[in-house]
Amino acid sequence: MNGLMELAIEAEELVKNFGNVVALKGCSFTVGGGTIFGLIGPNGAGKTTALRIMATIIKPTSGSVRVFGVDAVRSPDRVRRMISYLPEEAGAYQNLSGEEYLRFMAGFYAGSGDEARSMVEEGKLISGLGERLGDRVKGYSKGMKRRLLIARALMMRPRLAVLDEPTSGLDVVHAYHVRQMIKDYVKSQGVTVLLSSHNMLEVEFLCDRVALIDEGAIMAEGAPDELRQRFEAENLEQVFMEVTGLE
Amino acid sequence: MSNRLAILIVKEIKELVRDPKILIGVILMPLIIFPVMGSAISISQASVRKAITQASFAVYAEDQGPASTALLEFLQEDNKIIPIEAPSLSEALFAFQGTNASAMLYIPDRHSENASMGLKGRVKIYANLKSLTIAEASGAEVINALISYYNYRASLSSIGALLASAGELADPEAVRNPVSVSYASVVKGNVLEVHPQAIFGLIMSQSIMLPIMMMIMLMFAIQMAATSIAIEKEQKTLETLMTLPVGRMTILTGKLMGSVVVAIAGAVAYMIGFSNYMNSALGFAPELTSMNLGDAGLGLQPLGYVLLGVAIFVTLVSGLALAISLAVFTDSVRSAQSLTGFLTIPVIIPTIILMFTDLETLPETVQWALLLIPYTHSIIASKAAFLGNYSTVIWSIAYITAFTVAVLYIAARIFSTERIITARFRSLSLRGLLRKR
Repeated sequence: MNGLMELAIEAEELVKNFGNVVALKGCSFTVGGGTIFGLIGPNGAGKTTALRIMATIIKPTSGSVRVFGVDAVRSPDRVRRMISYLPEEAGAYQNLSGEEYLRFMAGFYAGSGDEARSMVEEGKLISGLGERLGDRVKGYSKGMKRRLLIARALMMRPRLAVLDEPTSGLDVVHAYHVRQMIKDYVKSQGVTVLLSSHNMLEVEFLCDRVALIDEGAIMAEGAPDELRQRFEAENLEQVFMEVTGLE
Repeated sequence: MSNRLAILIVKEIKELVRDPKILIGVILMPLIIFPVMGSAISISQASVRKAITQASFAVYAEDQGPASTALLEFLQEDNKIIPIEAPSLSEALFAFQGTNASAMLYIPDRHSENASMGLKGRVKIYANLKSLTIAEASGAEVINALISYYNYRASLSSIGALLASAGELADPEAVRNPVSVSYASVVKGNVLEVHPQAIFGLIMSQSIMLPIMMMIMLMFAIQMAATSIAIEKEQKTLETLMTLPVGRMTILTGKLMGSVVVAIAGAVAYMIGFSNYMNSALGFAPELTSMNLGDAGLGLQPLGYVLLGVAIFVTLVSGLALAISLAVFTDSVRSAQSLTGFLTIPVIIPTIILMFTDLETLPETVQWALLLIPYTHSIIASKAAFLGNYSTVIWSIAYITAFTVAVLYIAARIFSTERIITARFRSLSLRGLLRKR
């Protein structure tokens, strides 16, 4: 079956409470296979919580999530074999070299030594870090680390890559590189991406579809063009202000 | 061992060993510090001996008679004397303070006259305490020791002269000291031709050194593991690991085993360093190194070394497990380090108490309170291994192991839930931790 035809994510009525704090209030959305889907909203909107549920790190208080038809709550191990996850502002092991880090991560997905080596070669290419991959991660700039981590997340060709704020805190040049890495690689390999961002322009550039999230609820969902037309806005930033009533 | 576990362990070891703080603190420190401490003890002992044989002190003699001259000639035989010329004692004392001598011998006027009349000669020793060091105080002791020896020699010669004039054939030494004493020590049924003070000194150096060094090792290990987990949380590498196709127990086991391998290297370095310490520290006292401690049941026998190694190992594992279990609730290296501050309290308390006293001498309630702390057993085991009480060592190892298993069980429960990512100390409760979602 063609991956583009099936649904990568089906999230239904997701609720997540942390004690008295309600992080998600019944979020529902679907992500088509082979597309880039953006979850956009301000800090504290519930983006990271939603992504952590997709990545099987936490479980919803109620509601359900299916990743390529597999229940993420009941069968997290099966889901983990299909996904890769990049937390927001994540780092890598400081005392390993970039290449050692890629090799370490490939070891969990590759079935054989040859497969691991080809994954690492792929990761080296995606990262574009060249000779610097031989250096310890502790000497890397923030942008270099992020390129290494994105390469790690994509090199094993996951069916779904979950990227939390992939360009957060990066300068213009590195943010540009990271966006290109995601767009080029995902389109050429047919990988599905679920990413979060509070940068509306970035999302317009990268995403096929977006969901606007605020205070734990999805406010609107659709293709960027479709949302702009629906709300008669010039860009997604205006759409967001419109739907949240903050304008 | 599964391939994925091996990958995790190798990563953990690389991360730890490549960290200069850990390499120095856990492995190099015991290898270097122990021999350095041993050498320091040896050097300080040697310097005390040197100070005794080559003492330098000032002399202010008001009396110039034959008794004073004889005393001064004796003192000058092996020692450097700084003679002080002054019109009065107060000026002599002033001049004495300008010298680098730590003591001054004052021989008052009429010293020789008293001696010629068959009376005691009187002298006085002034110690100059410039910087209040032990060496300054011992400077006065050196003169005292020399004068005692002079007294002994002078009285022997007087007794000899008296005996000769009386036509007696007795030994002057036997007349002066009719009874002579020598010491031996009975240790665990064995008679050793050694002064009990020497054996006591040896035991003291063990019972103080071993717990202190074990405490330092344990504190390093706790800090190493807590910091390592905190870095994983701060860098979000732990969060990434949680999404990999690998069991959470494998992640915990990998983390622990990686730390254990480094801790074993630390324990081996500790044992090597300790045996070097023993050799160099006791180098100043040949009677102790030549003494067969093994025959007396005091030295560390091969079995004692092995059991001590096992006791150190289980202690380290328990510390690592505890540190890892608690550090998952911190979200930064700084908070993990303040947490290790709390963890060191149950390590320091038994160490300090048992350094100065034995458990049996404490009130019963304090004994029980201390016995509940697993690290009390580490110290008991280290002392018992030295004294050859192997059953005590084995009991201690068993208790620490049981504690470690309990801690690991809790750690495993924490790792199997999302609390490892979401929990913080403020929302922590034991019931909440153990409740399986």
